[in-house]
This record gives sequence, structure tokens and C-alpha cells, in this order.
Amino acid sequence: MKRSKRFEVLEKRPINLDGFSEEWAEVGLIAMESEYDPEPSIEIQSGVVMEMDGKRREAFDSIDLFIADYGINLDNAEAAMKTDTLQIARMLVDVNVSRDEILKITTAITPAKITKVMSHLNVVEIMMAQMKMRARRRPSNQAHITNLEDNPVLMAADAAEAALRGFSEIETTTAVSRYAPFNALALLVGGLCGKRRILSQCSLEEALELKMGMKGLTSYAETVSVYGTEAVMTDGDDTPWSKGFLASIYASRGMKMRFTSGTGAEVLMGNTEKKSMLYLEARCLFLTKGCGVQGTQNGSVSCIGIPGAVPGGFRVIAAENLMASMLNLEVASGNDQTFTHSDMRRMSKVFMQLLPGTDFISSGYSAMPNYDDMFAGSNTDCDDYDDWYILQRDMRVDGGILPIREEDAIGIRNKGAKALQAVFQYFDLPEITEAEVEEATYAYSSYDMPKRNMVEDLKAAERFLAGNTGFDVAKALWEKGFQDVSENVLDMLKQRITGDYLHTAAIFDEEFKLESALNDPNLYEGPGTGYQISEERWSKMIQKENILGPSAL
Amino acid sequence: MDRLHVKKDYPLADKRPELILTPTGKKIDQITMEQVLEGNVTIDDCRISDRTLEYQAQISESAGNRQMAANLRRAAELTTFSDERVLEIYGALRPFRSTKEELLKIAEELEAKGAVLNAAFVRQASEVYQKRKKLKGDK
Repeated sequence: MKRSKRFEVLEKRPINLDGFSEEWAEVGLIAMESEYDPEPSIEIQSGVVMEMDGKRREAFDSIDLFIADYGINLDNAEAAMKTDTLQIARMLVDVNVSRDEILKITTAITPAKITKVMSHLNVVEIMMAQMKMRARRRPSNQAHITNLEDNPVLMAADAAEAALRGFSEIETTTAVSRYAPFNALALLVGGLCGKRRILSQCSLEEALELKMGMKGLTSYAETVSVYGTEAVMTDGDDTPWSKGFLASIYASRGMKMRFTSGTGAEVLMGNTEKKSMLYLEARCLFLTKGCGVQGTQNGSVSCIGIPGAVPGGFRVIAAENLMASMLNLEVASGNDQTFTHSDMRRMSKVFMQLLPGTDFISSGYSAMPNYDDMFAGSNTDCDDYDDWYILQRDMRVDGGILPIREEDAIGIRNKGAKALQAVFQYFDLPEITEAEVEEATYAYSSYDMPKRNMVEDLKAAERFLAGNTGFDVAKALWEKGFQDVSENVLDMLKQRITGDYLHTAAIFDEEFKLESALNDPNLYEGPGTGYQISEERWSKMIQKENILGPSAL
Repeated sequence: MDRLHVKKDYPLADKRPELILTPTGKKIDQITMEQVLEGNVTIDDCRISDRTLEYQAQISESAGNRQMAANLRRAAELTTFSDERVLEIYGALRPFRSTKEELLKIAEELEAKGAVLNAAFVRQASEVYQKRKKLKGDK
């Protein structure tokens, strides 16, 4: 065939490097509305669920049983299950129906029912509902802080800059897992160098992640995965009861935590029981709710390649974020994995969470160039900051971060690197040189950093973890002259005495004040209500050095 | 004392600081860097007490979140167990790690130390694991 020159050009566009696939319901490769998804049902006898979504209690698997016994508010279940799914969908987008009114219904229905509710909504309706159902009044954002070399100095500088930009949480993981104590330490020290309380975490295998928290090196946890089929849950080396117990351990140590799940995970792990991605995610969310966990990281997360490949992929991801909000869970809404070659496509994905606002729009945003992102790259990275800021400015939408000045970034990065240098000195850890501090202050990526002696670092990291806690870090900072950072570290440790930040969607604002769904709830009820960007914040959001004033014009 | 309510008592640190005591009996404003440097405050003072968790459970309940309240009450029971022991019990609850008898023994241990909610939770797990073949040797 003689080729059309236009088709030849189209063929070479970035979008055509992406992978797409047809639906295949038999292996669960279908976003929602699979013919194999169960019909909603519930039968309750003397407070015990005898049937749920077409299955009798004796046939329940461990996830069914956990959801039936813990996840559903049975008091209102029979009435809620009788409410037509289309009516619930309409209530979701009706500004005259309050969030609280909807929660009474949506926390009392079954996974099959909530999945059916979603099938009535188009993406704009999902966004309208998300704007109303988000738990916390103010949306916020989370950043990834990692690098290829696990270079702690660079990490401390990146953490300091991320806090300055206004991220409410920072998350790290490792290239080499034995570096974990230093990564957690770098985020703790760097992240608390400025004038705000930032929550930090280190994503690791469940037991090790918990240990970092117990030692006070992190202030919350997120990588606590749950899955929608029993076989995959078992492959993930957990059960609903082990995960529920883990959730209680975190709370018993006064630490914030959320679970994580997302569409596509069961497809990737090869056992979907022929169910749609959204139905399986609904099971994950009811399980999360049943454990009494305050929130979830969902929205396909690292599995976005799967729903992203089938028809309705973005819609199903937005729907799963919304479902979490409908269970009154905090939502850290993905946007944290590279999945497309197309810039149009990747920003369109973000808009579905950025425009309505979620508790954390990205989970998280790569604060480094993507090749340094050890979560396999995020959907947006440090090269995208100005695009993000201008989009916030174009649309008057709060994406959780603010523009900063270059000199302020340099200043805080230097402080972060120096504070970590001092802590390393105090604990007699392998030296952080002046040259490393200088490079970390001005670096673009880990390629700019002098190589460290990894063998020495790893030995020292192990020794450090065995003998010290966040408490000792506060002491070290004080004695080395970083009193303000020391106070901040102690302050974060004190949070776990009061437990206030265990509640839904808790973060800290610029004035060190706690903001959560309990003391600062989202009360959206139509235009003029809910979260409004303050004039002060707006004036910061529209500042950029290359914006022309009247005189230049 | 009346049960706490989200509207009047949360956040506890601002609204009811007098209720918060560390497991070592210290008040929150006694935890300062000065006290740390003088050696009067240690890492053991930076923990939540079972009583504070019960208060937070009441806050959750008043906010309509009974599941979180239940989790916080299970957590309250676990405050007296060491980090090592709770990690071990978590490990024992993972699939294929324990026999039914081993899980029941853990439930007894929990109960003996007053952790009755956790004991019931682990007992239920032992039943489910037996039925769903998640016990040691079932793999």
C-alpha cells in the first residue's frame, strides 16, 4: 500500500510508543463492568452477614469474610443496599446532598454495589463527586525523594527543597535495601530543615518499614499492600488478619499509616478470578476500611500500565480514588509512575485528580529527574515543576505546591546537606565532605555527586540503626548547632504521643497546625463552598520570575 | 469522665492537653530539648499510652468511624508489648507461618496480658487459616 504521509507522521508520535490492549474479561483485563462481576446482595441475620454479593457465608474466602465482619456498617446496610445505584450516583454529583449523607449509604453497601455505582458516572461526574467526597478540606501533595546511588547528602538536600516547595509528605525507597537507615535519616533531617512539619516515610518490606518507624526515623508508613483476591494476597505474603494486626501495631506506636492497593495489581500477579479491576479494588478498599486504617494510596499506582492499556483506563482509576473517598478514607491518588510517552496523556491523567483535588494528588511527585526515581520513575518529575505551577496559575487550582526562588532553594538545600553532614559527624559515620555538601546544594541529579564508599556506608548504616533512634538524631542536631532542626525532629516524635495525626488525612500546615478530615473537613456543597484558595496563597501561586509586569509590557 | 467528641476535644494536643500523659507519666509540655539534654527525657517518653489511644478511639467513634475506633482499641492493648514481640506476632500471622495451635497459644498470651480484642482477632484468624489452608504445612 502506498503510505499516507500524515499517517506516517502520526505513527511516529510519542503516543504510538505506548502499549494498548483489548479487554479480555476471562483474565480480568477489563476496567469495570465485567460480565463476571457479581450482582450486589446482602443478607444479615442477628448482626451477621450470611450472604454478600451472591455468595453464601460458608463459601466466603478470607477477604469476603473480613469485609463482611469488619468492613461494612451493618446498621444501615439493608436500607443502603435497597437504594438504587443510579440514585446513589446522582446523589454523588448533587451539590444539595452532603458528603455526610452520602457516607451513611456508601459505608453500608458491598463491594459489588459500590462498583455498580461507579458504572453510572462519566469522568466529569467522577471529578465533581471527588471534589465533594475528598476527606480533608485542602488538597495536598507528596514527593518521592530517592536517587540511583542512594546518596544521602543529595537526598537530604532534595528533601529540604521539597519541604520548601510545600509538599506535605516525602517518601523514599532504596536502590540497595541496606541503605534504608540512611535514606530515612536523610529525609528526616533534610525534610525538617525548614519552617514546616513534613511527614516522611521509607518504603520497604513490611516488617523492615515498621522497624524504621519504631526507631523514630520515619513518621508514617504507606507501603502496606492489600489485594483483591485471596490468592494474590497470599502471594503478597499476608492475610487480612496479618495486615489488620500490622495496622494496630502502627497505631500502638502512635504512627500514621495508610494501606496501598490499586487496579491492575491482581492482573499483574496473575489471579483475578475473572473479576474486573474496579470490583477487585473495591474489595481492597472495604478491607482497608475494615482494618480501621485511616487511608489508602490507590489509583493503580505502580500498576498503571495495566488499566492504562485498556479502554476506560483513566476513568476507572479516577473511579477507584473516588470509591476510597466514599469510604471516608484519605486518598493518596497515584500519579506516581511513568506510564506513557505522551505529555498530553500524562497531564490528562493528572488533571483527573488535580482539578477536583485529592488528599495527596501525587503519591508521589518525583523531586528529582526521573532516572533518579527509584520507584521506577514518576508521572511528573523536577523538570515539570514550572509546567505544574503554570497549570495551577492557568486554572486557579491548588496542586499542593508553590513556586520558590532559586536563591531560597540553594539556601535550604545547603542547610539540609550541612545538617546531615553534622549528624554523620556526631555519630562517627563515614564523612560527608565539604565538596559533597557543595555538589548537593547545586546538583541536578546523582550524576553530579562524588561517589561514596558504599561498603563503608552500608556497614555504618547497619551500625547506626542498631544503636540509635530519631531521638538521638534530635540530640545530635542540637549539639552540632542545628537547634531549630533538632526542635522539629523532637516535635515530630512528640506527635506520636498525642495520636492526633492518626486520624483521617492528617497533615501539618505552614504554621505547624494539624489539618485533618476531623478538624478541617471538606464541606463542599456547591459553588462558593469547600476549599477556597486564600488571596495570600493565590498571590504566591502566580509568582514566577519570568512573568511580565505592566512596565515591561 | 464524659466520652470525648471530635467537635469539642480534637485535636487533643490543643483542646485537651491535660489528658495526655506518656506511658511514663510525663505531660506533653515536659518533653523539651532542654529536658532531653539534661537526660530527664528518653525515647521511652515519646510513646503513646493506652489511655490516649482510648481517647482517640472515642474521637473516631464520635466522628462515625467505628472501624478506626476498633483499630485504636486493639492498638491500645498492644502498647505494653515490646517491639520485638509484636513484630514476631505479625510474622506468625503471615500465611503458612503457624500451626493452629501456635496461633491459639499466641491468643492465650495476648489474653493473659489483657489484650482481649487482639486475642479474639488472632483466634478468628486461626479458624479462617484452617478453613482457607493458610496454616503451616498447607502450602
